[in-house]
Amino acid sequence: MNAIEVRGLTKKYAAKTAVDGISFSVAEGEMFALLGVNGAGKTTTARMLTCLSAPTSGEGFIKGHSVLTEKAAVKQIVGISPQDTAVAEKLTVRENLELMAKVYGFGKDKVKARTDEMIEMFQMREVENSRAKTLSGGWKRKLSIAMALIGEPQVLFLDEPTLGLDVLARRELWRAVEKLKGKITVVLTTHYMEEAEALSDRIAIMINGRLAAVGTLAEIEEKAGVSGLENAFVAIAEGGMDK
Amino acid sequence: MNRISAFCARNIRELMRDPLSYIFCVAFPLVMLMIMSVVNTSIPPEAGMTVFRIDKLCPGIAMFGQTFVMLFTAITVAQDRAGSFLVRMYATPMTSKDFTAGYLLPMMIIAAVQAILTFAASLIISLITGTSLDPVGMLITFLTLIPSALMFTALGLLFGTLFNEKAAPGMCSVIISLGSFLGCVFFDAEHTGGVMLDICRCTPFFYCTKSARSALCLDFSAGSYLIPLAVVTACAIVFTTLAAVVFGGKMKADLS
Repeated sequence: MNAIEVRGLTKKYAAKTAVDGISFSVAEGEMFALLGVNGAGKTTTARMLTCLSAPTSGEGFIKGHSVLTEKAAVKQIVGISPQDTAVAEKLTVRENLELMAKVYGFGKDKVKARTDEMIEMFQMREVENSRAKTLSGGWKRKLSIAMALIGEPQVLFLDEPTLGLDVLARRELWRAVEKLKGKITVVLTTHYMEEAEALSDRIAIMINGRLAAVGTLAEIEEKAGVSGLENAFVAIAEGGMDK
Repeated sequence: MNRISAFCARNIRELMRDPLSYIFCVAFPLVMLMIMSVVNTSIPPEAGMTVFRIDKLCPGIAMFGQTFVMLFTAITVAQDRAGSFLVRMYATPMTSKDFTAGYLLPMMIIAAVQAILTFAASLIISLITGTSLDPVGMLITFLTLIPSALMFTALGLLFGTLFNEKAAPGMCSVIISLGSFLGCVFFDAEHTGGVMLDICRCTPFFYCTKSARSALCLDFSAGSYLIPLAVVTACAIVFTTLAAVVFGGKMKADLS
C-alpha cells in the first residue's frame, strides 16, 4: 500500500482554482517534493492532505485513511511543519516538544524519551531551555520540524522548511531532513530547485494548481529534454508540458 | 484529558511569562482596592455611603478583577488565532472541546488565584481599618464568584474567537467599563434607585456583585443571594455554551 494516494484532488476558492484535479501517489519511506513557484498550490495540497483544508472535490488517502471521512485517524499518523514556524513563542524548546508529545497522548516516560530523542536528533541541546521567541530562524525551523516529528508520524509534511533561511542554516536543516530518509514518508513543498534536487527521491512539478510532471530527476530531465532541474522546470513551465 | 491538561499547562505558562498579566490580573485590582479604601477614609459616616467600605469593596473588586481575566483570555485566543500555532494544533488529534477546555480551565485557575490575593489584601485592609470580615463569608464569597469567573472567561473566549487581536481587547474594554459601572462596584445603584437601578438589573454584572456581597455578610435570602446567584449561573452556562459552539464553528470554518 502506498503511504499517500491522491485522486483528482481539487480546491476551489470563490474565483480561483488553487489545486486543479491532481493525482499522484507516494511510496512508503519515500521523500517526495512538491516543487513550484509561489501560488502554485503546493501549500494548499499539503493542507488538504493534513486535514487543514477540505477538498472541493477528489480524494486523498494517508496510509489508506481518507482525509475526508477519517480525519481523526489521519491526524494521528501525520505531522506537519507549517510554512510559518508555528511554535509557542513563550515556551522553551523542551516545553514546546513536551506539549506536542502530550497532545499525541504519550505517557510521562515516553514524553521525556521522545523529547530527549528530538533534542539529540536536531542537536538542540544548547537551546533546549531557551524560549522559542529568542531563537534564530534556523533554530525555530528545526524546532518546528522536531515538533512535527515527535508524535511519531508515519507521514511528515514539511511546508517550505527552509524559506527565509541563510545558506548555512539551510544546509544544516537539509542534513537534519536527510536523516529522515527511508525512515518515514516525507512530503516536502519547496520553490527551491536545489532543495528538491538534493533531498527528494521523486519530484512533482506544480504549475497553476496542476501537476505538470512527476518523476525522478532523471525522468523529469528526460521529459523536458534538458539537463538540470532548473532548466527542466523552466522548460516545463514555459512549454505547459503535460505529464 | 492528557491533551486538555497539556494545552492548559501551555496557556498557564504563556500567561505567567507575560508581565502584563501580572499588572492587569493582579496588581491593578489590588491597587484599586487600596485606592478605594483610602477614599473610604475621606467619606464622613453621616454620608451613609458604604460602597467603599472593605466588606462591600472586596466582593466588588473581586468581580472587577475577573473582567481582566476576560481580557487576557480574549488576547490569548485572538493571538493564537492570528499566528500559525493554532493551525499546527488543528492538525493534531486536538478537538474543539479540547481547545475550549484548554482555554477556559487555566483562566479559571488564574481567576481563583486573583480572588485569593484580593481576599488576602482585603483582610489586611480590614485589620487596619477595623472593619470585620467574616472568614466563613470570604470562603463562601470565593465559591459564589466561580460562576461569574466562568462567565467572564467564556466571554473572553467568545471575543477572542470572533474578533482579531486588535478588536478583541477593545470589545473587552467595553465590558470592563460596563462591568464596573453597571455591576455597582464603585457606586450603590440600590441606594440611587430609579432608571439607573433598572438598567443595572438588566445586566448580569449587577447580580455578580450582589450575590458576592450578600455571601460575604452571610445573607443567603432569596432576593439578595439565591436569585442573583441563579441569574449569574444561568448566564455562565449560556455564555460558556455559546463560546464553545462559536469556537467549534470557527474551527470548522478555518478547516473548510
